[in-house]
Amino acid sequence: MNPAIEIRGLQFRYPDGKEALRGISFTIADGECVGLVGPNGSGKSTLLLHLNGLLPESLPKDPNVVVYGRALNKENAAEIRRDVGLLFQDPDDQLFCPTVYEDVAFGPEQFGLDKEKVKAVVTKALETTSLLGHEHRSPHHLSSGEKRRVCLAGVLACEPRVLALDEPTSNLDPRGKRNLIQTLKSIPATKIIATHDLEMVVELCSRTIVLDQGTIIADGPTHQLLGDEKLMLAHGLEKPHILRHVHPH
Amino acid sequence: MRHDFLDRYSRLDSPIHRLPTTAKLLSTLCVISATVTLHFTHAWFFIIVAGVLLILSALTTIPWRFLFGRLMVLEPFALGIAVMALFQENGVFVFLSILTKSTLCLFTVILLSNTAPFAEILLSLKRFGVPKLLITILALMYRYLFVLIDETERLNRARSSRTFSNSPIRKWHTMASLIGQLFVRSTERAERIYAAMSARGWK
Amino acid sequence: MHIPDGFLDAKTAIATGMFSITGLGTALRRAERHVQSRKIPLIGLAAAFIFVAQMLNFPVASGTSGHLLGATLAAVLLGPSAAIIVMSSVLIVQALIFADGGILALGANIFNMAIVATLCGYGIYKILQIFFRGEQGRLVAVGFASWCATVIASVFCAGELAWSGTALWGTAFPAMAGVHMLTGLGEATITMLVIAAISKTRPELLEDNDQAVPANGRSTAFVYVALIVIGLLLLVAPHASPLPDGLEQVASSLGFEHKATEAPILPSPIKDYQLPGIPSAGTATIVAGVIGALAVFALSFLFARVLARRQKSAVHPSSPPNRQ
Repeated sequence: MNPAIEIRGLQFRYPDGKEALRGISFTIADGECVGLVGPNGSGKSTLLLHLNGLLPESLPKDPNVVVYGRALNKENAAEIRRDVGLLFQDPDDQLFCPTVYEDVAFGPEQFGLDKEKVKAVVTKALETTSLLGHEHRSPHHLSSGEKRRVCLAGVLACEPRVLALDEPTSNLDPRGKRNLIQTLKSIPATKIIATHDLEMVVELCSRTIVLDQGTIIADGPTHQLLGDEKLMLAHGLEKPHILRHVHPH
Repeated sequence: MRHDFLDRYSRLDSPIHRLPTTAKLLSTLCVISATVTLHFTHAWFFIIVAGVLLILSALTTIPWRFLFGRLMVLEPFALGIAVMALFQENGVFVFLSILTKSTLCLFTVILLSNTAPFAEILLSLKRFGVPKLLITILALMYRYLFVLIDETERLNRARSSRTFSNSPIRKWHTMASLIGQLFVRSTERAERIYAAMSARGWK
Repeated sequence: MHIPDGFLDAKTAIATGMFSITGLGTALRRAERHVQSRKIPLIGLAAAFIFVAQMLNFPVASGTSGHLLGATLAAVLLGPSAAIIVMSSVLIVQALIFADGGILALGANIFNMAIVATLCGYGIYKILQIFFRGEQGRLVAVGFASWCATVIASVFCAGELAWSGTALWGTAFPAMAGVHMLTGLGEATITMLVIAAISKTRPELLEDNDQAVPANGRSTAFVYVALIVIGLLLLVAPHASPLPDGLEQVASSLGFEHKATEAPILPSPIKDYQLPGIPSAGTATIVAGVIGALAVFALSFLFARVLARRQKSAVHPSSPPNRQ
């Protein structure tokens, strides 16, 4: 079975010269749920943008990103976007259609599905995110939790095999957070979650990658990494409360 | 700058709301065309139109205060231009004619905009053959209007909490700088929206 | 300057409607052919931006406040075709949702504020940029151009009202042009301040190669210029006759009769008004316009110098603070 994602020696420098990623390599197996943690500016969001070819702006000939056995290049980038669903940090950036239904249907429509199939896929996505009945609501009438869920539904409607999420619980109240975590648990896709919410990582992700200044500091079982207080503090993080009474073996 | 008034009542459930948007758009156009072209001496027509509008308003279950509030906000502009009509042969007649007609047309559009959600108006326009690019831009504009209004409020509030003078000069500088900031943020947001659209297959 | 429904007669609404469809259609066609898809969200957001910018209050004298129109601002930031689309979108939404500006009058409003104001503002800006370069030069160009654009648009508006028989040219022209020579000062000031603010934080946004829809296109430019010229000929020129009773003569020779043919129901308060020493209010307005233009140009120049100097001291914080 092909690994879901393979990253080999990924480097990236912003147009203004700032180095964001310095030689990143890792592999994610099909069905895994991986947490991506690190201090602000470590390159988490930048890394996620590489997974579906949004960065770099002109894709190189030598591919550093392989998705289900296919090396990401200019020709297949559009197709690979069907496999890798990306949830952005600010729901307002992603919710750009006039109604909930239209927004969730955007992806399937872009991929050329017919009306019936679109309806089926949208309904399923709305059901997963508990948004049935909200089809005709306008985005500016939604709460931030609801907006998040619509964005997630919009990504799920594309039926991706990999879900890449950027700070999915930011700005959510405890109930919204709980709902989102429950929803994510119910989705079988491979997941990579960039986040500051370490409690969620402990709950959802069996494996964690720690990123700092564009390099991978550690990559291993969540409990072991997040339970290592020294490691956490050294990289702008801290041991989550859930693990306070757990000591690394 | 509260903006929920923009769409507060457009999705109520009333016999008028339930009518198809295309029908509402077309009838609005007919009413306005007839009102504008018919000579003011046919007073009976205008009285009937006014009566029909009032009955329709009652059916929409939208609070009267809101509807007339909207009308009151817009009347002064019509009045301002209409005043110029007085300065000619038969000026008062022209003035009254224009004022009546524009008020009736205003009220018709107020009813339309509050009984048909903008998203559906856009769909109707698309069906009438309005170019797709324009529809896309209108949709994006409407969607992000609220986002930008919120952003402006936040920027304004942050500024006010560090402004200790009331001088109008300061205010102009502040407002202009706010507008500049808003533009820069809008360009950055537009880039992110493009990324989000591409991520879901848009070309 | 938003004309509500009921102020324009059928022929004016139809004529300006055709102008608008031509102008907006040209802009859209140009965009469809040349705009990169990555710029489309920018145009949509720019429309929202102009809309919000128009909502902001700029306090004038006790109680009253002025507002930005933004046509020249949009043209300078986005290029003429994108700006036409942006301003038209704003007007369409204002008409449909806010009833600000009539629906049948949309043709006239789009023509005045989205096409005439935008193109005149852009054109004057570009011409001035040939002679005035650099940071200060850009500010002068922007300031003067936006004042002119506002005044010119109001003249077209007056022409439309006069052609419809709503008001006499002798009333509408001095009133509209006069008022907008004043509001144009606000427009110029705000536009200059905004451009100065943007060039301080993100100067690269003001570079030409960043325009949403590339500006160079001979056939497009031709259409735009033709629209303005035809508009001038149809709406403004007939009234600019030097004969004292010019308007009545032109009106009767073109066959446009007064709307009310019966005897006046009530006597009108003022029939003609003359200002002492000047043949007509129309001429007085033109004189005021020329003087105003010169004054505004001088003021823009001085203001631009102040703004540019302030910018320089901000960019080089190590230099001694600028005492103003």
